[in-house]
Amino acid sequence: MPAAPRLHELQQGFADAVLGRGDAVAAWVDGAGLEPVARLRIYRNTVANTLTAALRESYPAVLALVGDDFFDVMAERYRLAHPSTCGNLQHFGSALAGFIEGMPEAQTLGYLADVARLDWLRQLTALSADAEPVDAARSAAAAVVEPESLRIGLHPSLHLLRSAYPVLTLWQWCQAPSGAAPGMDGGGEQVLLWRDGGDVAMALLDPATFRCIEMLAGRHSVASAWAAATAVDDEFDLEPCLRDLLAQGLIVAFIDEESST
Amino acid sequence: MSELLPFAQRPIPAAAGIGLRAPHIERVLTERPPVPWFEVHSENYFGAGGAMHAALSRIRADYPLSLHGVGLSLGSADGLDLQHLATLRRLVDRYQPALVSDHICWGEIGGVHLNDLLPLPCTQEALDLMVSRVQQVQDALGREFLVENVSSYLSFRHAQMPESAFVAELVRRSGCGLLLDVNNVYVNSVNHDFDPLEYLRAMPHASVREIHLAGFTRKDQLPVPLLIDSHSRPVAEEVWSLYEEALALCGPTPTLIEWDQDIPELEVLLAEAGRAEEKLHACRAAIA
Repeated sequence: MPAAPRLHELQQGFADAVLGRGDAVAAWVDGAGLEPVARLRIYRNTVANTLTAALRESYPAVLALVGDDFFDVMAERYRLAHPSTCGNLQHFGSALAGFIEGMPEAQTLGYLADVARLDWLRQLTALSADAEPVDAARSAAAAVVEPESLRIGLHPSLHLLRSAYPVLTLWQWCQAPSGAAPGMDGGGEQVLLWRDGGDVAMALLDPATFRCIEMLAGRHSVASAWAAATAVDDEFDLEPCLRDLLAQGLIVAFIDEESST
Repeated sequence: MSELLPFAQRPIPAAAGIGLRAPHIERVLTERPPVPWFEVHSENYFGAGGAMHAALSRIRADYPLSLHGVGLSLGSADGLDLQHLATLRRLVDRYQPALVSDHICWGEIGGVHLNDLLPLPCTQEALDLMVSRVQQVQDALGREFLVENVSSYLSFRHAQMPESAFVAELVRRSGCGLLLDVNNVYVNSVNHDFDPLEYLRAMPHASVREIHLAGFTRKDQLPVPLLIDSHSRPVAEEVWSLYEEALALCGPTPTLIEWDQDIPELEVLLAEAGRAEEKLHACRAAIA
């Protein structure tokens, strides 16, 4: 009998058994009436079930689209390819959309990765930090700042998704899937996500408005965002875009680069 | 700092609370049931903001609160995840809970998290490591921390002491509090064939700050009996009996009903808590 393993070696061996990489650690497990590997298998199953359940919770629309069997096969491959790296399960599914893009079975389901992205962004939106919207006085003060030197701080819950597929229409269909799934011929959709009260809200944006908010979220000046949006659509009007953001409480700061430098 | 809400101190009473899970939050907010205290899973509130925090702030204002972690992985041979500990620290600062706890277990090695409460070998090495980790956590949080005994489905050949000695020694040496899970004691007594009463007698009774009760499931068609700590059923009769013994040894102690799988209506949890309350009442009467 070799010397008893140190704790690090034992835990590494235990992890190997749980992840299906070999049962050498079984030599140190007291079977007590069962095969030691049968006892290890209890943990293997529990860990697998916990991680799969976490993915199911994070990706309800993907689950609705592909069904239980496909989802569970995908979940098993995902957790072996992307082991959990956090004691908080809310982070576990962060790489699933990219993983789906690499799955041979999903090659004909091009939209699936984007639906996964939307599921994930919904979770991020729900968990994002709170922040106070700017008040009327701050808005009035910002109105006289030159757009070249004005940047806008957006609410932490604001997220954006641009898709070549009708991703929001698909997501909404998943909430009560019946009848034919939405067709893919309608082209892509640009989605804005934010937290409205406690709930996650989503809206479709036109491409120019999406580009404008994307630029603002990237900490570019209002003038740069405006120019980028106008390049998409020369009819783009900045004012309603900013007014809507303000009305939804999604502007939390106006930053005047001139006065702050 | 707007995050530091001015909550009043609300100690956990020696009464039966329930583990607050997502399906019941809305009803608790609107109906304000007469539950003496609530416990939540710390990691469910590791997100920075949003509806979960808004709800917990309102609940914390009106009920005593305990934060119970499942992800600190105290017993990993790798060091503690300092980011996890820092997030817990912020959560403790924010809600000022009356109790903060996690488990006597490990769940991470080499950067891979298994997100489960995995069994430690009852060796001197593991005990020494747990003592230093619990002290590290108590130093980081600046307060007493509670550790909970876990259910396990295997033990290790190279164990050097019984689990009860491991738990008692950990609490004594680190100066932490004990969260005594009576269901886990019973489950392990069946799985590892020991006398649960002897285990209870070996506990440091003056350090028991909280008791957990939950339901287990039984694995059939095995050559030996095996119970799984599923938190999916009512508390078993054998566990209620053992709970009476624990109260006789520890005195009236804050007690929590836990239910995590197949979560039933709130009334079912309230009824379980009511049954624990009867036993607490009998315990108080026996002392008086």
